[in-house]
Amino acid sequence: MEKGHTMRTPEQIAEQCEQIALDDHLGEVTKWREETGGHAAGHLPVYTPREVIDAAGMLPVGVVGSGEMEIIRGDAYFQSYICHLPRSVVEMGLTGRLDSLDAMIFPATCDVIRNLSGMWKLLFPEKLVHYLDVPHNHDPEVGGVFYAGELRRLAKDLSKISGVEVTDDALRTAIEKRNESRRLMRKLFDLRSDSPEKVPTSELYVLMRAGFQMPQDAHDALVKEYYEAALASSRPEFDNARVVVIGSFCEQPPIGLIRTLEKAGCYIVDDDLLLGAHFILDDLELEGDPFTTLAKSWFDHARSMPSRFVPDEVKGEYLVQLTKKRQAEGVIFAAPSFCDPALLEQPMLQDALERAGIAHTSFKYAENNGQFHPILEQAGTFTDSIKLWSEAS
Amino acid sequence: MNGTKLHTGGVDVGTSSIKVALFRVGEGEETLLAKVHERIRRRDPKDVARRCFEHALDDAGLQESEVAYVASTGEGSMVEFRRGHFYGMTTHARGGLFLVPDAHGVLDVGALHARAIRIDDRAKVLGHRMTSQCASGSGQFIENIARYLGVTIDEVGDLSLASKNPEKPSGICAVLAETDVINMVSRGIARNDILKGIHLSMADRLIRLLRSADIQEKVVMTGGLSKDEGLRAAVIEGIAKDRRVACEVVTHEDAIYAGAIGAALWGAVRHRTLERRKAETQAQSTAASPA
Repeated sequence: MEKGHTMRTPEQIAEQCEQIALDDHLGEVTKWREETGGHAAGHLPVYTPREVIDAAGMLPVGVVGSGEMEIIRGDAYFQSYICHLPRSVVEMGLTGRLDSLDAMIFPATCDVIRNLSGMWKLLFPEKLVHYLDVPHNHDPEVGGVFYAGELRRLAKDLSKISGVEVTDDALRTAIEKRNESRRLMRKLFDLRSDSPEKVPTSELYVLMRAGFQMPQDAHDALVKEYYEAALASSRPEFDNARVVVIGSFCEQPPIGLIRTLEKAGCYIVDDDLLLGAHFILDDLELEGDPFTTLAKSWFDHARSMPSRFVPDEVKGEYLVQLTKKRQAEGVIFAAPSFCDPALLEQPMLQDALERAGIAHTSFKYAENNGQFHPILEQAGTFTDSIKLWSEAS
Repeated sequence: MNGTKLHTGGVDVGTSSIKVALFRVGEGEETLLAKVHERIRRRDPKDVARRCFEHALDDAGLQESEVAYVASTGEGSMVEFRRGHFYGMTTHARGGLFLVPDAHGVLDVGALHARAIRIDDRAKVLGHRMTSQCASGSGQFIENIARYLGVTIDEVGDLSLASKNPEKPSGICAVLAETDVINMVSRGIARNDILKGIHLSMADRLIRLLRSADIQEKVVMTGGLSKDEGLRAAVIEGIAKDRRVACEVVTHEDAIYAGAIGAALWGAVRHRTLERRKAETQAQSTAASPA
């Protein structure tokens, strides 16, 4: 640290991140474009290999909807039994909030997101719209080849906009840099698990989400700064219940909901919030064809989630293992209303937890929820039951 | 209660007041050593909580370091010196059972919410019903009415009990009821009768909660309004007329401390669990380390 420079507190860093993260006008992206004259490509929350966007010389921007703004136009495009995320994304697009993006990538998540990509083509014919399909066949010669081809197609599309060809070397460099970012994030996740009082999830979340709107280097610097500040902090350790939160991988809960869980006495020690930011679990190799490396990562290095089909997977086993690894005492299923992938998988995950004797509870939310009292009540009684009755005969 | 004796504290941060209870627990003993109650009155609840706790320590003749576990309930973040936190329903269940050991239900009526809780003989919550955002079953509502009538909250109960011709408001909505009360005052209705009418109206809501929570046995009233004998009398009167609910509603002079009492007693349970786990971990690491 430079002489005379005052170390910021975790709260101060989190406050800055929250402003960036919740800015649905993408102010940071606009600023970056003005400063650099570069191009930006948006992608929806579930995993998109950002390395390809990096290598095309563009800024990857996570578009995660917004629970803050009033939906006026977006509701006209979706039935009432569809989740909230596509409504706010359409609203953002139609109100000019996404004008700073030259492209939009829709990773295969569910039917709604696939249809949203089609709507985007009709609504914004002047922009690149790319539907990124993912493999369901895990044979490297079939699914692997297919996915590497998909990523090459994406690279070509992006190059047309940026004018920067995605070379193998550029992609390897991007993978190496993203490995470093992932390492930093893993370190922070581990610190949260070891000392959850030092890294509240409400802070970690806005830190991650700010990274969806910032250049990688600037965000890495923020993550490092936050890590050091959190490590040095002397926040008191409370006798809270350690829980894993699952189901929030696509549409994001309002930040108030995360804070409500913390207020209810939960230490969230792992989660799938903003999953795209921590979907790849370890370093990707730098040897060989980088497109194949990225394609293989879908099979070999990725976290389980409902939108990633894995043949012969014992449903819920990963969640049981994650809960044990993080020494969590319970699991909270927090899924968006009408989220088919999350809600269809939930009963199988619950069965697995019950077989393993792990307590769980569930509720649904929408990104624009404003009332958290019922959730406070549910989470509060859940943590109390873990703390007081889990060992009772 | 098993184990050696220890001291625990409970701090209940409500919307309008803070309650603290200090206990000595162990070897079959659960003794309430001190209790402190203070209204917040536009002050920083963190400061009030700290002051109440220190006051309770003085009353009990204890040092803070002698208290093994301080648990908060209500707005836990206002208790910076807490070790753990329990949800209000859990603590009122335990506190209610401590005060009335044969209770099978708790009717907690606080400043903003009311809830009926069905419990077993270990204070485990078996079911509950709670008022929603509506304020008409809450202490804040009765406080507003008292203000319109120019009486203190402590006078409300006795005035209501002296009513001869109760005048019920036309609806259960707090906003409309307040308008009704202003009309009643201008029509010259006696304060006693207005208050009794309000109590009967609130009692209707509380009885509905008891009914839907399926509580049919002895119920202890807790929370800030447990002191309001007028309200309790109205609930008893309402139950007598309602064949669908047959519970006996009682209270206790310390019922406003039920949340704090429950927090302190659950804190003792939790402290022992943590101590046992620590000992087990130490034993395991000792067994695993080479001789």
